[in-house]
Amino acid sequence: MKGKKKPGDFLASLTGLAITLLIAFGLVVALILILSKTPGKMIYYFFLGPFTNTYYLGNMLNAAVPLVFSGLGMAVAFKSSVFNLGGEGQVYAGGLAVTLVCLGLPSANGFLGGLLAVMAALLLGGGIAGLSGFFKVKWNVDEMISSFLISSIVLLVVNYFITGPLDDPGNNMLASLPLAHQYNLMKLFSPSKLNLSALFAIAASALTFLFMSRSHIGYEMRMCGLNREFSRYGGIKVSRYLVLPMIIGGALHGLGGGLMVLGTYQVLYKGFSFGMGWNGIAVALIARNNPLGVVPAALLFAYLDAGAKAAMLNGDITFEIASIAQSIIFFFITAQILSDLARKTRRVK
Amino acid sequence: MRNSQFAIPFLHSAIEIMTPFLLAAIGGLFTELSGMLNIALEGLMLAGAFFCVTFAATTGNLFLGILLGILCTMLLSLLFGMTTIYLKANVFITGLATNLFASGFTVMLAFQLFGTKGVIQFPNIPRLPVLMVPDSLQRIPFVGDILFGHNVIVYLSWLIVAIATVVIYRTPFGMRLRGTGMNRQTIVSLGLSPGRYQLVGMLISGFTCALAGSMLTIQLAAFVPEISAGRGWIALVAIYLGNRTPAGILVASFIFGLSESFSNYAQGTIRIPSDFILAFPYLITIVAMILYSVWRQSRRGT
Amino acid sequence: MPYLEMKGITRLYENGLRANDAVDFSVEENEIHAIVGENGAGKTTLMNILYGLTRSDSGTIILDAARVSIRNPQDANRLGIGMVHQHFKLIPDFTVAENVVLGIEPVRARLFVDRAAAKANILEIVSRHGFSIDPDASVRDLTVGQMQQVEILKMLYRDSKLLILDEPTSVLTEQEIEKLFGTLRSLKKGGRTCVIITHKLQEVLEISDRLTVMRKGRVVAVRRTAEIADRAELARLMVGRDVLYPLVRMEKKRGRPILELKDVTLTQRGRGQPLLDRINLTVHSGEIIGVAGVSGNGLGELEDVVSGLRRISSGQIFHNGHDVSFLDTGKLREGGMAYVPANRLRRGASLHASVMENLIVSNHHRFLRAGFLRNNKIFEYSMELIKSFGIHGKPRVQIGTLSGGNIQKAILARELTSTADMVVVCEPTWGLDVESSQFVYEKIFSMRAAGAGVLFISSALDEILGIADSIMVLYRGKMVAFLANGRIVRDNQHQSRQLKEYIGEYMLGLRDDFASVGTEKKETQP
Repeated sequence: MKGKKKPGDFLASLTGLAITLLIAFGLVVALILILSKTPGKMIYYFFLGPFTNTYYLGNMLNAAVPLVFSGLGMAVAFKSSVFNLGGEGQVYAGGLAVTLVCLGLPSANGFLGGLLAVMAALLLGGGIAGLSGFFKVKWNVDEMISSFLISSIVLLVVNYFITGPLDDPGNNMLASLPLAHQYNLMKLFSPSKLNLSALFAIAASALTFLFMSRSHIGYEMRMCGLNREFSRYGGIKVSRYLVLPMIIGGALHGLGGGLMVLGTYQVLYKGFSFGMGWNGIAVALIARNNPLGVVPAALLFAYLDAGAKAAMLNGDITFEIASIAQSIIFFFITAQILSDLARKTRRVK
Repeated sequence: MRNSQFAIPFLHSAIEIMTPFLLAAIGGLFTELSGMLNIALEGLMLAGAFFCVTFAATTGNLFLGILLGILCTMLLSLLFGMTTIYLKANVFITGLATNLFASGFTVMLAFQLFGTKGVIQFPNIPRLPVLMVPDSLQRIPFVGDILFGHNVIVYLSWLIVAIATVVIYRTPFGMRLRGTGMNRQTIVSLGLSPGRYQLVGMLISGFTCALAGSMLTIQLAAFVPEISAGRGWIALVAIYLGNRTPAGILVASFIFGLSESFSNYAQGTIRIPSDFILAFPYLITIVAMILYSVWRQSRRGT
Repeated sequence: MPYLEMKGITRLYENGLRANDAVDFSVEENEIHAIVGENGAGKTTLMNILYGLTRSDSGTIILDAARVSIRNPQDANRLGIGMVHQHFKLIPDFTVAENVVLGIEPVRARLFVDRAAAKANILEIVSRHGFSIDPDASVRDLTVGQMQQVEILKMLYRDSKLLILDEPTSVLTEQEIEKLFGTLRSLKKGGRTCVIITHKLQEVLEISDRLTVMRKGRVVAVRRTAEIADRAELARLMVGRDVLYPLVRMEKKRGRPILELKDVTLTQRGRGQPLLDRINLTVHSGEIIGVAGVSGNGLGELEDVVSGLRRISSGQIFHNGHDVSFLDTGKLREGGMAYVPANRLRRGASLHASVMENLIVSNHHRFLRAGFLRNNKIFEYSMELIKSFGIHGKPRVQIGTLSGGNIQKAILARELTSTADMVVVCEPTWGLDVESSQFVYEKIFSMRAAGAGVLFISSALDEILGIADSIMVLYRGKMVAFLANGRIVRDNQHQSRQLKEYIGEYMLGLRDDFASVGTEKKETQP
């Protein structure tokens, strides 16, 4: 079989994706039919609701932004064969970093202060993940488990900050004091929450793609991801690429969390980013770890959430139907059989 | 006097607390030995917690309720197993899918059946029976107070560990299961189907996780969303910490039971923010992992 | 009436490759039958079909005058067919007994494995056939020859009547091969039938009663072994033309030392014996030093330490006079090292990466501009290498889709065109056909002619005798013999078989004197 890598495989995985989505959406429809008293209306709102007005649409696009960042973070990690299971904590920590900087500099210049905040998010997220990488290189501690454990601790620590030192005594919400106004990112589609961070997301996707596929470091990272023994044999410093992908991944996750606080919420509230880490994994997988594919994949996930929200606001379906649909996608998205089948039927020779 | 007043209830509750870890981990051991990474212990436990208590409440019969709950949980683990083994999906991802599905599905069903997405009380549910032991055993100083007086599932878990040990090391099934995990090609060349053993291992983990979950909710007589609270993940760590043997898992689960028991007691008495106390099990796990790796490296002379 | 008849067997792969093309194959009862052919001839596919590991697309199988259907190895076992694969299917952490009975475990009380019965049965078979194996030993501790015996035990335990062995001698020394042949002959006397898949001409002539020659998926000849005159005739049948021609090794003057190992030792915690024990060796410019040994005796470890992938425990390594003992592979390469590894599919290549990406792994720094790789320059470079080495493949395809020979060519292209003067080559022709092997030797000779010092590590003694200027023999990590090859071959022209046995004895540790034959230098005693 001396075939080229690109066209046949791509089409096969698209077909696999299509089948997966069909099953997921089919299940959603089935559940709606069983559970709802107004199935027709629910189906309408679930599938088309997000497009009915700019508010829903803008919010959907905005919800995709953190998914792009965590998806990029996971794509970089997966391509390097490194397993970052700590996304949840890294995103959450990014939010904390931004909040700490902005609250600490209440009257600084919006642009400069915001830049500093973003850098803090990158550093904190990258540092947390990098710790796991360091443990892996130094003591061969499995980075998957260690990143998960560290992330679990980070979640609790950030919660402590929110309900403790940063707590806003003025209201009963589990949230920090609000950030000063100059730090709010410019809105794009008022009154929805869509803001400048969406553009950052697109830029990040393009930059990550260029980095991974064309740059020197990207090449070495990918080679280590494909075959570490070979890379070491070829003279690449493999230990460096056990840590670096974790740092980059963690930084991207942190950036996503930080931008959520700056752009969408302007405040750090408890649980604002829960699920972003896990969904980032799904986004990366749907995109087959291709940084450019992360954007449509993130939109897909955000679409599911938005549809469920629209249905929930207009009827009797619970929001959880989104996570059920998402879990079905998770179940089937990596099923090789599907894409193998697609590949076999194409080869009519 | 104060020490033993603290120590005995502390250890007694540690035994009880460790049971869900133990059950989930021993089931997970079967999947692990067959070569499948099982990160769905959390989701399976959550599903078990919900289904067992719901069926127990609606049928009014504890045994029947738990049985039905186990069956439903095993269905979920069947989905996990089939997609991974026969559709060749990535085991890590399908594990996440199982967890996500359990989270969403339990809340959705809870809402449909009981009208609320929050805590659901089941005040009329039968209590978990406590195993009665003859007075002579109960009166043994120290040991007697710690080991006896627990509910049935605690003792059942010990029985399951014993049975698991025998099955894994002394039956053909156990040999083939371990063979599948060690060298899949060999199993195939013998004409055996590795998928079959992996699937059975997966179903076993569904069974034990359901039992683990049932203990959480039935004791509480309530279902709380996400009641599993990370225990499934800790059980996974217990498998590795226990070096993938039933005896090791017993010890590791006990350590985690101790840690959680400690954090429960500490939350009341010691002046540390509650979040930090909750983080304690994760912290000692990661320290244990690092120490273990350092120790192993020094042994190997690298 | 033949015992086994396979008629019209055809097996087509998705990409159109005809692994078996209307193959007719028959085996008489109680004979030893060899299936001979180059790599890719279809021999293993045919036997995999017979053993139920693969399905044929058409054709029938007739065993003992009855038509049979074999859909999986259990069917094959039930019909009395057993197979020993080229890569052993054993579980290292299980004992011999567990490995033998896995799948048909004897049970006690319907639930538990009856270990005592298993052990008794195995001991009975072991004594009957003169094996030297302890059923309670862990397979991980066995030698390769013993592992093969365990595989044969598996078949005897299932009372197989027809035993298939796939390339059984590729991992054995001369003595172990003799032992294996003895076992096969006794199996034959015991009423069983054996089929051997092999490409080793000498062994075919020695052990088989009849043979079938396959080429490119077809049967091209079936003969009584006694009718074949010599290896050359057999080779002609296999490849279709005369191929065996002697290698021409030109006399070359030795230059300065390129690679020096001084008392190099490698130990591992938990292993009593060192893996490498005070190795002293010098490779000069324009010289090929061969390292012979049975796999597991330090060849792999020597490869690892010389290439920088493993750190030595004591001793020193010098490259052109510089101490490089603690440098990693990257630094060694910068200093002028080329390395063709034994494990070409895992270490020598990244199967999922493209040919281009594989070719530049050690020198991709040459193609950088402002931190980015220049893909068009890389493409050009790859095309040049593809042309000069005759690689059948395009730069952008996954290298894993190329044939084994072409992957090896790509590895050679990457390693042997550098300006390296220290060349480490390990098992370079394993699994390659005659033509590709010749190509490899020629390339190595040209490196030698250009002044490189070549360390040639191989467990194929024939190869080393044909290539090396001097031969070092490793046994259990120690250097047990050092022979200046030119002298030996000249003096022993007619006795190459005895020579191989002589060296083989060192490889097996059967001699404890140190042989230093025909060398000018005095080597230190171990």
